[in-house]
Amino acid sequence: MATPTAQRNLNPRNDPLAAWLHIDFLLVLATLALSAIGVAMIYSTTRGIDPAAYDTTFMQRQLIFVMLGAALMAAMAVVPYDRLQSWAPLFYIAGLLSLVGVLVLGVEGGLGGQSWFAIGGYQLQPSEFLKVVYVVVLSSMVARHDGQMNWQQLVLALITGAIPMVLILVQPDVGTMLVFVAITMGVLLVGGARFSHIVLLTLLGILAAMFLWNVGALSDYQQDRLTSFFDPDSSQSEAAYQQTQAQIAIGSGGVSGQGFGQGGQTRGEFVPAQHTDFIFTVVGEELGFVGSATVLGLFALLIWRAWRTAKKAADLFGALLCVGVMTMMVFQMFQAVGMTLGIMPITGIPVPFMSYGGSSALTSFAAVGLVLNVHMRRYQVR
Amino acid sequence: MTLDTRSGRLRMSVLGAVAFALFASLFARVWFLQVINEQDFVTQAEGNRERTLVELAPRGRILDINDKVLVDNRASIQVTIDKETIITEVNKDERPALFLDLAKEISSTGRLTKVSEIEDAFASDQYGPFAEVPVVGDVTEELQLYLAENSQRFPGVHTRVVTVREYPYGSAAAHLLGYVGALNEDEFEATANKPKNYQINDEIGKSGVELFYEDHLRGTPGTSVIEVDKFANVLDVLEYTPPVAGSDIRLTIDIDLQIMAEQELEAALLAARLEPPETDDDGNLIPFNAPGGAVVLLDPQVGAVRAMASYPTYDPSTFVGGISSEAFLELSDEDGDLPLLNRAIQGEYAPGSTFKPFTAYAALDTGLLGPRGVLDVRAPYNDTGVYFIPTCPDDPSCRFQNAGQKPYGAVDLRRALTVSSDTYFYNLAANFDRLQFDRDSVQQAAKLFGFGAPTGLTLPNENAGYIPTPQGRQARHEANPEAFPFPDWRTGDTIVTSIGQGDVLATPMQMATAYAALANGGDIYAPNLASAVLSPLTGEPSLEFKARRQRSIYYPPEFSDPISDGLLGVTQDENGAVDGGTAWKAFNDINFPHASWLSAGKTGTSEKDGKADFALYVGYGPLPEAEYVGVAVLEEAGFGGNVAAPVIAKLFKAIATDSVEPALTQAERDEQDRIAFEAAQAGLSVEEFVALENPAPSGDRADADGEDAATDASSEAGEG
Repeated sequence: MATPTAQRNLNPRNDPLAAWLHIDFLLVLATLALSAIGVAMIYSTTRGIDPAAYDTTFMQRQLIFVMLGAALMAAMAVVPYDRLQSWAPLFYIAGLLSLVGVLVLGVEGGLGGQSWFAIGGYQLQPSEFLKVVYVVVLSSMVARHDGQMNWQQLVLALITGAIPMVLILVQPDVGTMLVFVAITMGVLLVGGARFSHIVLLTLLGILAAMFLWNVGALSDYQQDRLTSFFDPDSSQSEAAYQQTQAQIAIGSGGVSGQGFGQGGQTRGEFVPAQHTDFIFTVVGEELGFVGSATVLGLFALLIWRAWRTAKKAADLFGALLCVGVMTMMVFQMFQAVGMTLGIMPITGIPVPFMSYGGSSALTSFAAVGLVLNVHMRRYQVR
Repeated sequence: MTLDTRSGRLRMSVLGAVAFALFASLFARVWFLQVINEQDFVTQAEGNRERTLVELAPRGRILDINDKVLVDNRASIQVTIDKETIITEVNKDERPALFLDLAKEISSTGRLTKVSEIEDAFASDQYGPFAEVPVVGDVTEELQLYLAENSQRFPGVHTRVVTVREYPYGSAAAHLLGYVGALNEDEFEATANKPKNYQINDEIGKSGVELFYEDHLRGTPGTSVIEVDKFANVLDVLEYTPPVAGSDIRLTIDIDLQIMAEQELEAALLAARLEPPETDDDGNLIPFNAPGGAVVLLDPQVGAVRAMASYPTYDPSTFVGGISSEAFLELSDEDGDLPLLNRAIQGEYAPGSTFKPFTAYAALDTGLLGPRGVLDVRAPYNDTGVYFIPTCPDDPSCRFQNAGQKPYGAVDLRRALTVSSDTYFYNLAANFDRLQFDRDSVQQAAKLFGFGAPTGLTLPNENAGYIPTPQGRQARHEANPEAFPFPDWRTGDTIVTSIGQGDVLATPMQMATAYAALANGGDIYAPNLASAVLSPLTGEPSLEFKARRQRSIYYPPEFSDPISDGLLGVTQDENGAVDGGTAWKAFNDINFPHASWLSAGKTGTSEKDGKADFALYVGYGPLPEAEYVGVAVLEEAGFGGNVAAPVIAKLFKAIATDSVEPALTQAERDEQDRIAFEAAQAGLSVEEFVALENPAPSGDRADADGEDAATDASSEAGEG
């Protein structure tokens, strides 16, 4: 794309290429809308059933997370993204250390194994933050080779990804691990791995998955989630129950939904983890197809903007950042919503922007911040 | 470099296509769930969170004709287990210990409970997953408190208060009142179309009035549809219909009379057992076992049952809260005395001589006897004590005799009834055949009077009795030639039928309704046991049961006069040097007030091979407009005139002199028994003892003395 640099006006107010003139408001709007719906849904599912004493704790906390997230998004957008390249290894090392730390000092979380630090009244999930760090690190490594990676470089990139994946798998948190796999595949696909590499990697991935399954690396409940997904009728397990109840909730929402705060499945707490990983069931039950489609539409918008920004990015690093964020979002979205719809097995993955949780919210906003950053600077050539 | 290269664009397109495909599948799935299958899921969601709870309504009471409460309700504490909680909270291998612990605790309060009962309740598949399964009923309040306080130790074990049947008069009228029990699977299916919403293990009438008037007695359960969460916490009440109590049933029974009838029946049977055994023709000793019997008192003018006693009896309260299977087997053991059998309507007895009036009616009705008949009613027949069928005088099977070959000399119809001459009726029977009247003339008359078919009393499981006929004999033979080897009906069969022997069987209730027709001029009523259904709210009758006249038999004075006269002679004609009425002595012995309360009747003594005679008496009075028909049947107890007639005579006398004792409730009787027992122990008369127990309020000093005396008395008793 033509990038006129000669005419740069040194007064940034008059510079048509100035970053702040190119903020992607549509993207910001999508994230804020999703967050707002998320806060409302969290309120609906956590407020309790006593109209005289609705519980607003979760909603208030999530509001704080969203505000902090928005601030973080802004911060991530402001610092020119090429500087992230140099900071990334530092964050990466810190992230790996925290993953090790969590295994030693962490606490058991809800659906996600031992993946949490308890800090004050809040819990911190380092693997969430590491997703963004990994997007930056991987993009930076791949971009350095200008789309022409040889075997050694590819292996190095893969090792960079494999370390956090293994640490997360040990927690065990298969879902988050798979997010890393998705990011890796997306960035490598776009960022220059050869087609043969991709095919080979896919085969390797399948073999690794079979190996893990056969050696019993998955815990009982993880195996159960998979078996109950493939054969839901035979299973009397908690996972099958969850999946059935989630679909009942969404299906009974119908076209127009049962109304905010009126969902029977939601009020009755029939769906477990409803304010976190299963938040989409509240949307489905209370807001109906209209609400579900709106939420999916907003995510589609968000992902389209990331995809579009990748194409328009001023350099490969920027493009890969967007691709990494996009694949992360697509995978999380597809997995977390898909499992409530019964088209994916259950794994503990939050819906970006909507699920209750500070780590997830901050990570999602930071990721979008990266895309905004690239979008704002798509006319600035280095 | 950027992605704006051929390869970069292609790779981005692949990525975009993958993302698009994933989104498309999410949209498609959401569409499928929410738009196409919405209704399915709405139904499932309702099933998830809506529960219908049933609130049982109290059952209606059963009252006697004077509104004395015969069957009442009382609150009872029941221990239940919540299967869901036990399954989720107690490990399989810990459950036996829990059940054992629970059985021990319950048993320690005096309500003996086996572990197996709890295990059975837990294993029962008759209850839904959230139902409270009853384990034992009638536990103490202490246990209820204890279980509530130790709910940690007994997860899923709860108590609830239910209403159960209570019988203020103890076992009185047990057979007619019946009992209730838990609705079983078969009954559940049968209740599918009933309006009052039955559930497995609901209380349902199993016999007697409880069964027959189930639809009135049962309350309409209340229902509430509640919204619950996953943990069965109630979120909201969506619908509520309050329970409506069942209606009371007012019987035609007079409990005072009922209890007297039961007592007289029992006393007569117990007395009969004391008689020395008879010796039969072969020299065998035949004891008077007197195992059971029945008494029926019926108002012949409207067909209302006033009392209906059956012995032996049982205590209906053993069924409260569920009867154990051993106890039930014992009650219904075929080899025992069958206390559950209501002999008044289920006992089938050879009516013996009490059947003779109907043979007489057959003769009058066919024209064998009567003013325009072959024989005159007053024409004497020479009773020599033995009768030979004229066509085969030399065949021993054609020889019939009176009891003990007793000759009565010249008897006409009237006297034949009074003294109970058999040969007179043999002669009538033989003449039906000889003069070519219908061979089954006697049977036709019997059926007209209601024999051979249930009377239609408003109680379940009434037996029909049996009237043998030529056609019936043929059919029986063809169906089972081994058991019934003789297909032919002979004159001798008519002869034994004419005196209510042979294959003739009748229930005491049938005898009562047949004699009621004799007493009321020929009207056959289907007897009523209930007079009204009373609204649970107002106590006013919401439904009254009218007399149910089935038919009017042609019974003109020329028929009725000789029969009634003959039956009147049974109680009136002095039975001394000259043979007289077979029940005269029974009435004379108790100075029956014939002048104010004239009654007629007929004794019967029926034979059953190898057993002592069955004693029967049927009487009615006061004449001319009889208000009571009384039937007494005593199994293996002796002659009707000696054993059965006194029972009815005493009842009639009490009615005539208005001296039927007011019935005491079980509590009152227990108190009387206690006083009598303690008085006897203390060596005091009942009056003295009562005076001691309830000192006259004449000052503190007297009080103190009285107490001292009582204490002394009991300590003496203790030493003794």
